[in-house]
Amino acid sequence: MSILPTSRRARSATGAGGAGGPAPMRLAPREGEVIDRKRSVEFRWNGTPYTGHPGDTIVSALAAAGERVFSRSYKYHRPRGVLTASYLDPGAMVQVGDEPNVRAAHRLVAAGMDVRSQNTWPSLRYDVKAVNGLVERFLATGFYYKTFIKPEPLWPLYEKVLRTFVHAGEIPPDSAPGCYDQRYAHPDVVVAGGGPAGMAAAVAAARAGATVMLVEEEHQLGGHLRFGGPAERARLRELAAAVAAQPGIEVLTDAVVEARYDDNWIPIVARSLPGIDERLIKARAGTLVVAPGLVERPYVFAGNDLPGVMLSTAARRLINLYAVRPGHRAVVLTANPEGDAAVADLESAGVEVAAVVDARRGETVTAAHGRHGVRAVELGDGRRVEADLLVTAVGWTAPTSLLNQSGDQPVYDPRAARFRPDPARMPDDVLAAGGIAGDGDLDQLVAHADAVGREAARRAGAAGGAGAGSAVAVPSLAVDEHPELFSAGTGGFVDLSEDVSAKDITTAVAEGYDSVELAKRYTTATMGPTQGKLETVNTVAILAAATGRSIAETGTTTWRPMYAPITLGALAGRPHQPVRYSPMQPWHERHGAVPLVAGQWIRPEHYGDPAAEVTAVRTGVGIIDVTPIGKLDLQGPDVAKLLELLYVNKWQKLGIGRVRYGVMCAEDGVVLDDGVTGRLGEQHYLMSTTSSGAATVWEWVENWLQTAHPDWRVHVTPVTTAYASINIAGPRSRDLLARLTTDVDLSAEAFGYMNVRTGTVAGIADCVLWRIGFTGELSYEIHVPASYGLHVWQRLLDAGADLGVRPFGVEAQRVLRLEKGHAIVGQDTDGLTQAFSAGVDELIKLDKPDFLGKPELVWQHQRGTHPRLVGLQPLDGSIVPPEASQILDRAGGIAGRVTSSRMSPTLGRAIGLAQLDPELAVVGTHVTVRLPDGSDVTAEVTERVHVDPQGERQRV
Amino acid sequence: MSTSHGTARTNGNGHARTRSGLRGYSAWSLLRHGLSRSGWPRAWREHELRDRYDAVIIGGGVHGLATAYYLARDHGMRHIAVLERAYVGSGGSGRNTAILRSNYLTPEGVRFYDRSIQLYEHLAADLNFNVMFSQRGHLTLAHNDASLRTMRWRTEVNKLQGVDSEVIGPDRIGELVPYLDTSAETRYPILGALYHPPGGIVRHDAVVWGYARGADAHGVHIHQQTEVTGIDVEHGRVRGLRTNRGRIATPVVLNATAGWSSLVSHQAGVEMPVQTFPLQAAVTEPVRPFLDTVVVSGTLHVYVSQTDRGELVFGASVDPFASYSIRGSLEFTEGIAGHVLELMPALHRMRLLRQWAGLCDMTPDYSPIMGPTPVEGFYVDVGWGTYGFKAGPVSGEAMAACIADGKPPEIISAFGLDRFADGRLVGEKGAAAVGH
Amino acid sequence: MMLLPCPWCGPRHAGEFRFHGAAGTRPDPATTTPEQWRRYLYVHDNPRGWQTESWYHSAGCRRFLTVERNTLTHEVRSARDTQLDAAPNAAEDAR
Repeated sequence: MSILPTSRRARSATGAGGAGGPAPMRLAPREGEVIDRKRSVEFRWNGTPYTGHPGDTIVSALAAAGERVFSRSYKYHRPRGVLTASYLDPGAMVQVGDEPNVRAAHRLVAAGMDVRSQNTWPSLRYDVKAVNGLVERFLATGFYYKTFIKPEPLWPLYEKVLRTFVHAGEIPPDSAPGCYDQRYAHPDVVVAGGGPAGMAAAVAAARAGATVMLVEEEHQLGGHLRFGGPAERARLRELAAAVAAQPGIEVLTDAVVEARYDDNWIPIVARSLPGIDERLIKARAGTLVVAPGLVERPYVFAGNDLPGVMLSTAARRLINLYAVRPGHRAVVLTANPEGDAAVADLESAGVEVAAVVDARRGETVTAAHGRHGVRAVELGDGRRVEADLLVTAVGWTAPTSLLNQSGDQPVYDPRAARFRPDPARMPDDVLAAGGIAGDGDLDQLVAHADAVGREAARRAGAAGGAGAGSAVAVPSLAVDEHPELFSAGTGGFVDLSEDVSAKDITTAVAEGYDSVELAKRYTTATMGPTQGKLETVNTVAILAAATGRSIAETGTTTWRPMYAPITLGALAGRPHQPVRYSPMQPWHERHGAVPLVAGQWIRPEHYGDPAAEVTAVRTGVGIIDVTPIGKLDLQGPDVAKLLELLYVNKWQKLGIGRVRYGVMCAEDGVVLDDGVTGRLGEQHYLMSTTSSGAATVWEWVENWLQTAHPDWRVHVTPVTTAYASINIAGPRSRDLLARLTTDVDLSAEAFGYMNVRTGTVAGIADCVLWRIGFTGELSYEIHVPASYGLHVWQRLLDAGADLGVRPFGVEAQRVLRLEKGHAIVGQDTDGLTQAFSAGVDELIKLDKPDFLGKPELVWQHQRGTHPRLVGLQPLDGSIVPPEASQILDRAGGIAGRVTSSRMSPTLGRAIGLAQLDPELAVVGTHVTVRLPDGSDVTAEVTERVHVDPQGERQRV
Repeated sequence: MSTSHGTARTNGNGHARTRSGLRGYSAWSLLRHGLSRSGWPRAWREHELRDRYDAVIIGGGVHGLATAYYLARDHGMRHIAVLERAYVGSGGSGRNTAILRSNYLTPEGVRFYDRSIQLYEHLAADLNFNVMFSQRGHLTLAHNDASLRTMRWRTEVNKLQGVDSEVIGPDRIGELVPYLDTSAETRYPILGALYHPPGGIVRHDAVVWGYARGADAHGVHIHQQTEVTGIDVEHGRVRGLRTNRGRIATPVVLNATAGWSSLVSHQAGVEMPVQTFPLQAAVTEPVRPFLDTVVVSGTLHVYVSQTDRGELVFGASVDPFASYSIRGSLEFTEGIAGHVLELMPALHRMRLLRQWAGLCDMTPDYSPIMGPTPVEGFYVDVGWGTYGFKAGPVSGEAMAACIADGKPPEIISAFGLDRFADGRLVGEKGAAAVGH
Repeated sequence: MMLLPCPWCGPRHAGEFRFHGAAGTRPDPATTTPEQWRRYLYVHDNPRGWQTESWYHSAGCRRFLTVERNTLTHEVRSARDTQLDAAPNAAEDAR
């Protein structure tokens, strides 16, 4: 490699010609290759320019250029190369721009990609932390549990060092946002896996009338047919044509069925889509057909992680899909026909096959030797063969994750040397096809999948009702014998992602971590990004050998979602953050309202000067948008009975045109909500609730009506957002409202305190007006049909200009109500505050035969030991003890807390409400308040009402 | 009340132990074993199931193992068995998100969890097993006035109990966690946070294994794959229990299970005010460390920490309906992802690797049920909701004292089963139920 | 999440509903003892298996349903309108 950037030439993977030099490992064009040789793509690898073709993965392009090492391992920083040449490849995780942990053997190269190796320093080739390999014997599994224990103060330093070993890419804090979306789907059948079985099942299901989603993880359909010989490729063309010709199949490539949840709720992530990063499809499928094929299993032996040791499927992918020669001189360890086919492919690619080691004849490989890659292979017979490539074909793992999630518990079949699904445990809406279900030639597998597809359609009810017609006879698949090959017993790595060695497993067993779950947790085997698909069975086999149990007795770990790692972006989809605004929001925004997040609602906290807003209400008139107040329209002959049950006070005698304040408790006596309810007609009431309690109270009301009193005739309609609500408060409020109301007599005699009227406001009919006094001033709360809210609001301001009308926000309202000593449920009460602690003693009618929570309140009253809600005024009126300041008893213990506090513009001093132990809750008592800065102030316990204790201002 | 273990002696397991703790694991021993390439002894041994024990603890999680450890170490009880139906730590102890904190709301809660943190701080040395307690600080974000008020409330109560907590503003939060979006323009702006420096994360399995190894060294029999099938009660007191491996006679049974606590208590004829809900968690692929503190948002129902392996661990609140299923749901992962990206938008390319669930026994007041029951000799340490792991050490210490003395020590006196019939609920629910 | 077979709306995602748990019987408030009342408040069956429980279809028909559900497998055996079950003549109102 040249040192000077200016003299760098792109390392080419283009073969002869092209901008760069020759790609030493690129083969002549091959039938079935997926690269587009007519075009080339430039990208960078650790800063150096490289060239590949469209269709190349990052790894295939680099391998074509002669690169063999793509990462360093977690603990020992050993060089790692291609193992599977697929998404799972543990040695091919790279950083691409902002994106960490990109699967370089799956991700296609794109122009301008900035690809870097992860956690290597100073470079991939010379990695300082590789010295860990020299002290491997001291870094055995669980070493960190056994050391750094003493001296205790040093552990945080050790921990910092441990954290530098993290084996992963990085996320810059200013990463550009992505674009993701989600989609719902209701297909009859989802087929997970687009190999021959999946394709055949999809076609059969669609022909039977089902709507089908066919989901394939690779970039094209075909599975192992893609990298097979001419016969396989012919079969692939045939199946692909059938899929393309069959209506009703939606094909998703570079997409993964991520999980199977209850009732076939199936998330599918789709990548490589135009315009967006990823899309999550949420499918509620009639039937799920699981056809993921089989994963080729690595073999465990000394040196099995060296670059140049790869699976037969990896070698065949490189040769047949990407026209890349995987090495020069190979040893092949084969135990099956696929391994034999790899030998043929290697020879056709010009690789010298130095030795074929046939495990079926008892031959084996014991070790691979080399530093940065394989140089020689040691055979079981003691021979040592010079080679830079060792291809293994020792067996298969059924990736049963989706079946496990459906309730299956795979059973180990020693004849087949793999775990197999137990169909008896699978629910009716899940079926398996292809290699996961059994073995056979292509015709047998396709015939089986065809029957499975038809049965899947039938079970989904695609033609007629669910389960209509008689069950399809699904032919059974044979299971081929396969030698049990997991470990040569010479060491090596079980989990390449986690750098867990075979010895680590046996060590764990010796230390007592001898069940599969304990060994997994102790060694971290199977816990890395490959999710155990490559590692689990070898782990179990080595564990079984170490414990003397069989593999079947040992069992496997649980396969949990996700099937493949999925981005947070795809799971989150587009950000949907609904908010609620009142119809007056445009006015608020234009007039400088400071927004307040109040649950779902965004409300004006104030318009710049809350103290002035308070004064305006006390001296003139103000209006506040109280639309978020919960409103329930109640109609029917039994409403009064309902109110009697819900509220702690009495309602039977509430006259038409009257309004009453009430408090609701849950059955444990804890205050649930409060508000006023007015009687509009003989059988017609309007209930108001707190803003945050609106949904809860509605559900609460429905619950009692529907489940406890099914015979009561009450109809409940939520009308919170049907009305815009405005409170007009202040001594001039009557004058203001009178200018806009023609058909309601507002005089004190005709429309007294705690009355309700309906009428016309600002020309808008059917408004509800109630005269109530949360602020303590003469005030009217008007509820107008929501679409006229802004109109009425504007008219009030226009009409009251000469009265000095001023809008006020939530903050001024909080101060006004605090001056009046009104409690806010959820602020002055908490999740355990029973009603006698809420300052509403006079409201609670224990002589009523029943109301919700009554027994608890009877007992609360009898005990008398409960905290009280009291008024509080610091002796130094300039100090406002922050809300949540604790009140101390004489011994320094906690006797209560300040629940509300403000500077009162009306009184010019600090005021508050507090929850306080009964012995101190006596008016005139001095208590100590601990401020957050640690200092104490003395405050006097007062009545709750700080301003106008007789309530004269609101009754005028 | 503790009996003396004054001199160091070696048990059959090759561990030296002293009164103050165990030995055997250290940098030197690691070096020695590495050089000689010799093996380590078993961390705990297997035993035949005896037909009689002085006390039997049901549940081989951190609570049960810690209770056994302290009973043997501090109270001199000789014949103790821990029965575990699967493997040690297979329940909630191995499924939680391993967050430790003591910034609770009530004085009883704060005092109790603070003792737990104190025990955790010295647990590695005590057990001679590195549990990797990482006191990296714990942030609970407030996105509205109500939650900010609750943070202040907790802070003030914490400070009065001598626990390090403070309310900090967005600037300070941004310094501690640069990846958080602390701008005011978000849907749920971060108004402040309760910052609790002693909080952090621990390696949960290591805590279980450390206690198992410690209990074993003090003579406790740990029986895995041993399921209790019945509890024998005669004339109002415990006589023994039945298992899939045979009968055991014992005067003392402790139910230290989660997800099974009503079922096990029912075997002794004791009713529990618990409902079982799944609690889910998830982990991502690793990325280079960038998140030093634990971040919690109650409003957004999410908590996040980054392990020393670089993975982000996520948790949320319990599932919305009662269930004994640990299959997990898509809604959990969708919710988590959405909320995490709301907080830390840069993480959209992180990949979620795995999700799992454990079972939580929820009580009406979000506090545990600890101590004796109406059946003499039958004790419970259950109802741990979502916070059992934090309390493992202190629960073990307190339940050991409770069993040894026959009555609950002061530190757990607020958590008795009788409080429900008496209407003396613990106020931790106070904060949880505060509205907007 | 599982599907719940709403008698009014058909099979719907469980996320549309709110779980209200096993319903207890409310003691007569006039005669109840603290112990009875608190059993009603706090002690509910917690079976690992079939349970009869209450769900509210909050994002659908707003009806309370009585559901037989297996708490381990999430199978649902039946889902009925609670009010109609108790007072069939209330059908008119419910609709």
